[in-house]
This record gives sequence, structure tokens and C-alpha cells, in this order.
Amino acid sequence: MSHDSQVSPRRWLAAHAARQRGWLGLAALTGIAVGALTVAQMALLAWIVSRLLVDGAPLASLTSAFLMLVAVLATRALCQWGQELSGQLASLRIRHAVRAELLDHLAAMGPVRAGARHSAGLANQLVEQVEALDGYFARFLPQLRLCVAIPLLILLVVLWLDWLAALFLLLAAPLIPLFMALVGMGAERLNRDQFVAVSRLSGHFLDRVRGIATLQLFGRTHEAATEVHAAADNYRRLSMRTLRVAFLSSAVLEFFASVAIAVVAIYVGFGLLGYIEFGPAEELTLFSGLLVLLLAPEFFQPLRTLAQHYHDRAAALGAADGMLALLDEPVRPEHESAGAPPIAGRCVALEAVTLAHPGRGQVLGPLDVVVEKGDILVVTGASGAGKSALLQLLAGFVAPASGQRHAAADLRIAWMDQRPLLIHGSLAENLRLAAPQASDAELERALVHAGLAELVAALPQGIHTPLGERGSGLSGGQAQRLALARVFLSDAELVLLDEPTASLDEETEARVIESLRRLGDEGRTLVIATHHPALMAMASRRLALHEGREQTVVAAGG
Amino acid sequence: MSKRSLRTTFAPWLRLLAQRRGRLAIGVLLLIVTVFSAVGLLTLSGWFIAASALAGMAMALGMAVAFDVYVPGGGIRFFAVSRTVARYAERLYNHDTVLRLLADLRHRLFVAMARLDDRSLARQRASDWLNRLTADIDTLDGLYLRLLAPPVVALAAIVLLAAFLALWVPMVGLAVAALLVPTWAWLTAGQAWLGMASSRRQVAHLQRLRSQAIEHLTGLAELEAYRSRDWHRQGFFEREEKLSRDQQRTAGVAGFGVALVNLMVGLGMVAALWLAAAAWQQGMISGAVMVMMPIAVLALGEVLALLPTAFTQLGASRGAAERLNEVEEVGQAGQTGQAKVSAGHAQLPTGAFSVRLRGVGLHYPGALVPALQDLDLVLAPGERLALTGASGAGKSSVAALLTRRLPPSQGEILLGDIPIGEVDEASLRERVAILGQRIDLFQDSLASNLRLAAPEATDAQLWQALAWVELADWAEALPHGLATPVGEGGRALSGGQARRLALARLWLRDPGLVILDEPFAGLDAATVARLSPRLDAWLTGRSVLYLVHQLDGGAFDPPGITREQRLQARLAERNQFSDRA
Repeated sequence: MSHDSQVSPRRWLAAHAARQRGWLGLAALTGIAVGALTVAQMALLAWIVSRLLVDGAPLASLTSAFLMLVAVLATRALCQWGQELSGQLASLRIRHAVRAELLDHLAAMGPVRAGARHSAGLANQLVEQVEALDGYFARFLPQLRLCVAIPLLILLVVLWLDWLAALFLLLAAPLIPLFMALVGMGAERLNRDQFVAVSRLSGHFLDRVRGIATLQLFGRTHEAATEVHAAADNYRRLSMRTLRVAFLSSAVLEFFASVAIAVVAIYVGFGLLGYIEFGPAEELTLFSGLLVLLLAPEFFQPLRTLAQHYHDRAAALGAADGMLALLDEPVRPEHESAGAPPIAGRCVALEAVTLAHPGRGQVLGPLDVVVEKGDILVVTGASGAGKSALLQLLAGFVAPASGQRHAAADLRIAWMDQRPLLIHGSLAENLRLAAPQASDAELERALVHAGLAELVAALPQGIHTPLGERGSGLSGGQAQRLALARVFLSDAELVLLDEPTASLDEETEARVIESLRRLGDEGRTLVIATHHPALMAMASRRLALHEGREQTVVAAGG
Repeated sequence: MSKRSLRTTFAPWLRLLAQRRGRLAIGVLLLIVTVFSAVGLLTLSGWFIAASALAGMAMALGMAVAFDVYVPGGGIRFFAVSRTVARYAERLYNHDTVLRLLADLRHRLFVAMARLDDRSLARQRASDWLNRLTADIDTLDGLYLRLLAPPVVALAAIVLLAAFLALWVPMVGLAVAALLVPTWAWLTAGQAWLGMASSRRQVAHLQRLRSQAIEHLTGLAELEAYRSRDWHRQGFFEREEKLSRDQQRTAGVAGFGVALVNLMVGLGMVAALWLAAAAWQQGMISGAVMVMMPIAVLALGEVLALLPTAFTQLGASRGAAERLNEVEEVGQAGQTGQAKVSAGHAQLPTGAFSVRLRGVGLHYPGALVPALQDLDLVLAPGERLALTGASGAGKSSVAALLTRRLPPSQGEILLGDIPIGEVDEASLRERVAILGQRIDLFQDSLASNLRLAAPEATDAQLWQALAWVELADWAEALPHGLATPVGEGGRALSGGQARRLALARLWLRDPGLVILDEPFAGLDAATVARLSPRLDAWLTGRSVLYLVHQLDGGAFDPPGITREQRLQARLAERNQFSDRA
């Protein structure tokens, strides 16, 4: 996953499009077929009219032409459906590929760097922002090709019919890129301004909704509701100012299309009346004149459709911009195996490591830490002293800014912090996350160790009780114990615990500490960041941190 | 809820739209003028060319023909301009309408949400309800421009054109109507029916995909430690696959509709041409009118083209409306099976007042066991009671009951000997203050966040309040002082600063009952040592209810406790676990 920061959103999107060349090509091809069949349809219409009016052919003799017209219409409908389907298929595949790329990158960044970003914002990128690419790939890109091909096709047909009429269209043709630029500029600015205004507005709204309980308690909901309306109305006034300009560019396009039709109609009409006595006008027939008129709007149609889809492009570029910013974030070096393997008997060792967080400078180190097998190392220090950072370094969740981490490549670790992961699924599924193959009996044993057995026994569905979204139904302490059960379930050698008893009440705390003691007795290596005296008492070694540095090492007391 | 008819689902929102019916009607009218100009331009041009050709042929034969080129020429130019102008005006006007509707929608929803009780709000905070909500509002604000105006305009265009054609040849008008009115019905009702299930499911899939993404992102550490990242990722992609299938289906249905529009309009054109030619050969109409007819039908394509995609997605709009309806209904009726929070007009006394809970029970709907059962609690005026208990024992429920953000299932609650249900809303909010675990700060200035508690407070008072919580020095050092924005949700502040700001907010008021939930949580010992005596002094002469996990006699214990009462967590465990998935 190498991304040089020079990749522009446009090029990145193009690279993804190139991987779905087949389906996108099919979408464009069927689109061109639709255009060609439209020309055929108009030609048949003009030909039938001309046969009737000019040649006086009886209606019955034209039955086959009518049938052909129906056949053209049916084929065109099929092609149109094919165009929609293949565009959508390409878009779906690309969106899947983009999600995979983003997830790969997040995994490579590691839990610390990826976790530093707001998870709701990242989820938004992974889900909604990727969805925002849909219109660009499904509609805009195929239409972009049609925008060149179809007007060209029509121009050739008109040129063959009447070169002067073709000249009118051709004169409009150099204006087309101009229109496109106009439309594009309008749409892009519109989109940019809108985007800022929308996010500010929805920020305001969300902010007030989030704090609605506080507003209720202060008895201020009425004022806030009025404010919500005023903010939305203010946003409307702002947007209308932009829209007045933005819509002008499409109005210009509309105007030229209308004028082109009018000019062609009047030219053809006068030509047919014999008022125009130069150029090809004298050779105009009802057939050629009518066909030119019918094709004139079709000449502009692809461009008008493109203008409708222009916001898709702006939306996709905006989304791509954010995704590229994420993809540009540095990843952890390939693997810690770069460091020398640890000396026998050692679980993990940090050698002269430092850690820096962007914006906060150096948060840890330089520091040397050795965790021996079977150690119970307790890390203490005021909040902000770097306890969590140290644990993350030991786990390999983040690469040190300098120094080395030594650990066996196959070192199995267990991790527990204050916000355990709770997935939407049953209790059992939540536990098996740590050991997919575990039997029900093993799950039960882990629950006993974690002090959750009584609770689960009281549930009608036992370990198959479903948890709601993000563990709704579990209290903080219960979630904490569930995470602890995972630790027991896993066969991890090194167990890293970040404030395992924080925000627990007395009783729960006592149970958790009892469980941790049991973990130690099992012979696992424990590293615990904590303030709790009872946990400190468990330590075989203690490490006190102060502003990211080691303060003292106290040999085990008991 | 899902069994409700479309009409009842959309009814409240249609009523909201109806408040602006004047604007909506003008918008539709502008749309019709636009369509009329577009159809007129092509139709008149077709007629003009055919008439010119026939006149030219006649002249070539040496016949004397009087042919006025100026009227149709002028008409063509007029339509060319009116199409442009009408389209521009229509777009501008209708977008303005949509944005007005957005403001109405947000306001209405906010008012509905302000009526939600504590439990509904808490539950909804847990999920990504908020994001869904904004997305739902955005879906509904397009109701008019996508689902209401286009079918009306399309039907009007079909009927008017058919009537116009019938003026010349009744059969042509009839044939066009017979072909295109059922097509119109299919494009609206039929497409909606075909796409309903998949477009509705799509929203649910997206929502689940989002939660799964959040799970994945917040759980990266554990997933990596246990090497189950790929396993979880697979679940994410399975969900995406389901979403894709539905999106593909929806796109297929919409694409079918788009193709159908062109096919049916084309067939209408063929029918009009055939019938008009027959009428011409019988001498009923002139050749130019014959040419005009099929061309006029062709021009209808543009009007119908908007319908299929919009109506295939009707399921999504329906889902959005259903979810928003739910918010309104819960806000109006309270939780199902639970009494609604009521308010009266009695004023709470000045100074400290007593609190009495007698046999109070609180049973959440769907829970196996009650959250609170038979709770008796007495707090004399000026007393400081510490209510202790493990997490989940029901301390927050007591706070919600006393602030009337939940109604009790049994028993009675008296504030200053007045039943809580009879207390005037404004008096209750003024006389009962609470500092909860959650501190809400708004994306506004420091001053506005403080003034939430006291709208009339002067700047001097605000500074005093800040000094009281030792934030004055910090605030003075800020370049914008009191006008400094606190960022979204107070993100520019540390947890401890936010907590102290909330304490300052408390200080600006003069309540008779103060409920403090772990007042010193997240503060360092030195700050607590300085703040505790001040809090103690301020609390004198007020009734105080502390909510704490446990008292350990240390510096973090709130000051001046006169009595402790312990809540039993015994039942809460199971209770918390009820199946709410």
C-alpha cells in the first residue's frame, strides 16, 4: 500500500475506474448504441413523414417502416437498461475495492494511529463517503464519454444532410467545452460552499440534539428550537445566494440548446420555402430538414445530462480528497521482526524507545523496558504520564519513533482497556472473538473466571443472549468483565491491561482483581497500568512513569 | 409500525408541506410552464418545417401560397427564451422552497425530541441514531421536489397534450392518453412497488454497515491482539454484499423504468404518427399538423424521465418517514406501557425544600425486573444525603425521576410536599439543579455555554463563576476570553475543564435542590482540595443529593454529607441484561 502524497483525487479515482474498465466500457458502449438508435429512430420518423407528405405514399405501404421503428425503439430500451445496469455494476465493484483499500490501510496504521481519529468520522468515510462515489462511477464517467461520442455522431449525420445546419451545430460545438467549464465551475463552487454550509448547519443541529437533555434540564428547549429554525433559515439565505449564480451556468446551456433548435428550425423552414438562395439550403427536403430539426436537441442532450450529474463528480472528488488524506497517513513499518528476536525467557523488550504523537510532541521515553516471562509488571503514574502509550508500544500497536521493540513474531497477546469492543451478536460470539474455535464449555469456564457466570446463568438464553448494538444491555462493569473473559479464553502469553478496574464499583472491582490474580497464577505474563492499590500489591515488579520517563523501579514487595 | 399504509406514514409530513402550499403550487406552475415551453418549442418547430416544406412544394408547382413566416418564427423564438427563463426561475424557486422545508423539518423534529424522556434519549444516544436522523431529514426534504411535483407535472403534461391533440384528431389524443396514462401509473405506483422492499432494506443495511465499521474501528486493538481482524472484516464485507445485492436490484428496477419511459413515449409517437397519417389521408388535418403530432409526443419524454428513479427509491423515503414518526410518537405518548411525564402549575418554595420518595418503583418496558422497587427516601430541607450503590443500582434513575425526566411506575414523589407531577415546569427547572456524569457543552462561546444556566447573567457574574471553579486565569489567557468557542461538544476543553465549567454553570443558579453525580470525577486531587470547601459553602442552605459509587472517606468524597443511603444493585444486573437487541 504505497501512496505517494502527490496522487490527486482525480487520478486516484481514475485508477479505480481503470480496474473496472470492462463494465464501464460496456456502459459507454451501450450508451453510444442508445445514441445511434436514437438517430435511427429520428431518421425513420422523418423518412415516413417524407414518404407520406412528399411522395404521397399510402399508409399501408409503410407498415414495414413502422415495424422497424418499433423494433428500433425496443432495442434502444434494452440498450438503455444495459447501460444503467453495467454502470451500477462497475460502481459496486469499485466501492468494494475502495473499502478494502481503506480497511487495509487502517489495519496497517495500527490501533493507535487509526484510533486517534474520530471513529464516527472514519466510519462515515468507510460507509457514506464511499457511497458518495456511486454517482461518479455509475453515471458521470460513462456520460463523460457519451458527451463526446454522441454529438460527434449527430454532427456527422447532419453534415451529410446539410452542411450549413451542421455548421450551426459546429459553431455551438466550441462553446461546449466552455459550457462544460462554466457548468463545472458553478457546480464545484456550489458544492464547496454548500459543503461548508451544510456541515456547519448539521453541526449546529447535531450539537443541539446531542445536548438536548441538558437543554431540558435548564428549561431552554424552546429557545433552542427557535435557534435551530433560525440557523436553518440562515443557511437557506446563504445557499440561495450561491444558487442564483450556480444555476445561471446551466441556464446558459439551456439557452444555447433552445436557440440552436430555434435557429435550425427557422433556417430549415426558410430554406424549404426557398427564401434562402445560397449554400445547401436549396437542396433541403422535408426529410433532411425534419431530421436536422429532430437531431438538434439530441446534439445537446448528452451535455445536459452530464450537467445533471456534475454534482456526482464534485461529491466524489470531495470524498476522494478525504480518503486520500487518510491513505497518506503513515503506516507502521512492515513488522517488528526488524528488531532482533528477544533473548530466551523474555517476553517482550523495549530498547531506548521514544514515542511522539502529532501535536503533543514526545509522550514517552527514552525508555528501556524488559518484560520477563511470568512477570506481573504494574505500571503507575499520573494520568498523561504515558502508561497507555507504554502498553501500546509493548503490544506493537504503534511503532516507536526511535528505539527498538523486540518480540517473537508469533507472540500471542491479549488486550483489555477501558472501552472493550462489544460486537452486535450473542455473548458467545463476543467471547469467540478471542478464540474462534472455543467450545461452549470453554466459554462457560472463562465466564466463571471473569465473574460473569451467575449473571449469564440468570439469562433465559444464557451465552446465546444477543447484545444490542455496541453492547447495549451491558453495564460498564459487565462489559469490562466480558473483556476479561476474553482474556481467559485466549491462550495469549502476554496480557496487557490498561486500567482494568477504572470506573468499576467496589464489588465488581474486587471480583476483577480476584480474576486477575488467577490469570497470574495461570503463569501468564501480565502488564497492568493502574492506580489501584490492590493491583499494585499483586506486582512482581513496578514501573513508575513520570512525564513519559521511568521514575523508579521498585522491586516486588508482595 | 411497518404495517402502516403509505398514506398514514407520510401524512404528518404532507401536512407539514401543506403549510407552504402556496409556494408548492407556484413551484408546480413554474414546472408546467417550463415543460410547456419545451414541448411548444419542438412542436411548433416541427409544424413550421412541415408547413414550409409543403408551401415550398406548392410554390415550386407554381401555386400562389400565402404563408406567414413571422408568427411561427416569433413563436419559436418566444418558446426558446421562455424555456430558459422558466427553467431558471423554477429551479431557483423550488430550491428555495426545499430549503425552507428543511428548516421546518428540523424545527419540528427538534421540538418532538425535546419532549423525549430520559430513557428514550439515552437509548438513542447509544446508537448512531443521530446520523440516521439527519439523513432521514435530508431524505424527506426532497419529498416535494422528487415525489410530489414531478408526477403532478407529468400527469398534467400528458393530459393537456392528449387534449390538445384530441382537438385535431380525437383518436390521436385518446391513443396517446391510453398509452401514457397507464405508463405514468406504472412509473409511479409500479416502480414504487417493485423497488419498495429493496430500497427500504438498503437503508437498514447501510445503518448496520456503519455500526459494523464503528465496531471494527473502535475495536482495532482487541481485534489485532486476538488476530480476529480478518474475521470481523469478513462480517463487514458480508453486510456490504447484502447491501450491494439490494442496490443492484434497485438500480435494475430504476433502469427498467428509465428504459420503459423511452419505449412507451416512442410507441406513443408511433401511434400518433400512424393515426395522424390516417386522419391526414382522410383530409381531416393538414400535413403540417400531422407532422406536429408525433413530435409533440416525443417531447414528453423529458417530463416522464424524472419519475422512475425517484419512485423506485420510495421505500427509502418511507423508511425515513417511519423513523421520524416514531420519534414524534414516543415524544407525544411517552414510552409504551409507561405513564407520560406530566406537569402542573404549582410553584416550588424558595430556599431549601424537602424531597420524599414513597414506595417508588421504576420498571422499564421490556425489562425483566424493575430498575427501582419500593424505594423510600426522605431528604429534609438543607440535608445532604449521599445515595451510594454499584453501577446499575439505579442512582441515575433516581436523578431522572427527581428532575422529572422519567415518570415513576409506582409510588409518589414529593418536592417540598408538592407531588412532582403538579410542579410548574419553569419552577422545576429553576429550583432543581443537577450535575450529571455527562457534561453537554455546545458549539458556542464560553459565555453562551455559561448563560445556558442564567440567560440574564452579566459578564462580571460569568467571570465570578469561572473564578469560583478556578478557570478564570485560564479564560483570561485565552485570546478571545469569554467569546472563545468551546468546539464541538466542548472538544477544545479537557475533561476536567468541562467538569469545572459545568460546576460554574451550577453556581450561576440558585436552586433549592442540588443533585450531584460524582461531582469531582475527572479532577485532580489538588483541584478537588481547593474546590471542595467552596462547594461546601455554596451548598449551605440547599438540599443536596449526592450520587456516588462509594464513600471512602478521602478527599474525593463530596463535602458535608449528613447521611448515607445505599441502593441495592441486586436486581439491576439481570434487569440491565434484558434483551433489547
